[in-house]
Amino acid sequence: MAGLVSNRGCHKIRGSQIRELLDSKLNVLFDCDGVIWNGETVVAGAPEVVTLLKQQGKKVFFITNNCTRPRASYVSKFIRLGFTDVAEEEIFSSAYCSAAYLRDVAKLQGKVYVIGCQGVVKELREAGVPIVEEDTDAPTGTIYDYPLDPDVKAVLVGYDEKFDFIKLAKACCYLQNTECLFLATDPDPWHPLRGGRITPGSGSLTAAVETASSRKATVIGKPSCFMFECIASQFNLDPSQSLMVGDRLETDILFGANCGLDTMLTLTGVSTLEEARGYKDSDDPERKDFVPDYVVETIADFIEAYEEEEG
Amino acid sequence: MAVSKCTRLNGSLIKQMLDSVDSVLFDCDGVIWRGDQAIPGAPDVINLLKKNGKKVFFVTNNSTKTRKMYADKLALMGFNATEDEVFGTAYCSAMYLKHVSRLQGKVYLIGSNAMRQELEKVGIQQTGVGPDLISGVQIDWANVPLDPEVKAVVVGFDEHFSYMKLNRALQYLNNPDCLLVGTNTDTRLPLEGGKAVPGTGCILKAVETAAQRQAQTVGKPNHFMYDCVASQFGLDRTRCLMVGDRLDTDILLGSNCGLKTLLTLTGVSTVADAEAHQESGCPKRLGMVPDYYVESIAELLPALQG
Repeated sequence: MAGLVSNRGCHKIRGSQIRELLDSKLNVLFDCDGVIWNGETVVAGAPEVVTLLKQQGKKVFFITNNCTRPRASYVSKFIRLGFTDVAEEEIFSSAYCSAAYLRDVAKLQGKVYVIGCQGVVKELREAGVPIVEEDTDAPTGTIYDYPLDPDVKAVLVGYDEKFDFIKLAKACCYLQNTECLFLATDPDPWHPLRGGRITPGSGSLTAAVETASSRKATVIGKPSCFMFECIASQFNLDPSQSLMVGDRLETDILFGANCGLDTMLTLTGVSTLEEARGYKDSDDPERKDFVPDYVVETIADFIEAYEEEEG
Repeated sequence: MAVSKCTRLNGSLIKQMLDSVDSVLFDCDGVIWRGDQAIPGAPDVINLLKKNGKKVFFVTNNSTKTRKMYADKLALMGFNATEDEVFGTAYCSAMYLKHVSRLQGKVYLIGSNAMRQELEKVGIQQTGVGPDLISGVQIDWANVPLDPEVKAVVVGFDEHFSYMKLNRALQYLNNPDCLLVGTNTDTRLPLEGGKAVPGTGCILKAVETAAQRQAQTVGKPNHFMYDCVASQFGLDRTRCLMVGDRLDTDILLGSNCGLKTLLTLTGVSTVADAEAHQESGCPKRLGMVPDYYVESIAELLPALQG
């Protein structure tokens, strides 16, 4: 099948069709959860796929909304799950990109009040962005009386297993100042865990802070383009030469559409082929951007695409 | 019937309006008190209305007190009021679950002790009130033991709200048959002493976002709270006045239920807000235009005393 057209066509492809597509791209961006691994279980063949793409001269990047780890910890996970050649510079998490945004785009003069886990805090420290230091094990006040830091110029909300009402109240107070920036690491309302369970995501905490403050957060993570801009600024990527591979239509595929990338849905994660086709058949023009260009069962199908050539 | 709206209530119009109603429903925060300070003249207004043979009720979205606690607060401030005249969302949520949802089972509660007490009064058991701490790692939290008798998640104001409680609620709500009920959607909660903190609306939004579904809300502007009063006291809605300070809760409730509505300016909304809704021409917004407004309910005093 010659001349595959990028037209949000939801084309299920394998073999030589995959080969043809990959030959036309210099850069492949992979989401992580549901694409290359599920929790602590690697998607079979994923490490081989990454190695193969690099052998073919492609640049490979990992772009994840998951803000729970700093990049160094992601490198350890990659090694643990059998990936042999993933470098820290190729990993772009929403925590890393939020810190980069505050330092390089907002050029923040002042402190950040962080609602977030250690993954977020470590990236901010690594980037040299000053944060409000709080002893999270000691009580930080009551709803009637909580201390505020006068140097706060930004509030950042991300996944935080220690989120509580007082943090919400403090964030709301800081955000009364219209000059104070309001950022969110990612919009995901829930995250999948092993065995089909889910856990509340950054998006649910951000929704609480938005409601309290009557303000909308600037969202760093997919589907917003900032994470692509972050990679592109470091590696000089051309969107037309780049393929986004993800498992979540509302984040990964929409992200690809927003940034002008071709998109591929893999079926090893959250979204299903039925959902993708549902968006394709919808009359709502906004839904078109949720439709992937291509669909594969698993990224492991890339391996046979190259093997066929050699056959 | 075309009714001219947003009329400044003064002079003989006050007496005329009062003569046209038998019952008056008052919101509390920003109408009869602010925090723990009565609005000057408010106790006299309530007491004189009753002396003049009107029924008086207190209808508040605040879920942090039981009817008894409200009655005590009212008494302390000089309002002549009884427990059964008070309709707060702690009480009304319990009534809703009992009589509308007909809940057979327990509730996972993100809410106050007051809510727990009102639920227990109607025979509904709850689990989760207070800090509800969970320990361990992430996969443990998703596998927290769930009480199989829980059939509803109920959300009200909760100063102990936390990620862990949000997570526990989400695990229950994974079952599509588990109900999700919220007391109200107000984004701010006024505290005693005048400060305000994020309101129940913020907590509810977190739960709704995680669970990707909408809660059934009990409080204003939903008509349930009026239905609750009306069913217990046999009210004639055509001879009922709703007095409030918020266009999007109090006045909208009044409009939804066919009551007369009076905006007082001692709280949240302004005349400019009301006029903006009026000029919008949008049917959804017209319900937020009050029939009348006053600077403060104390302006009703001369007509009541005369």
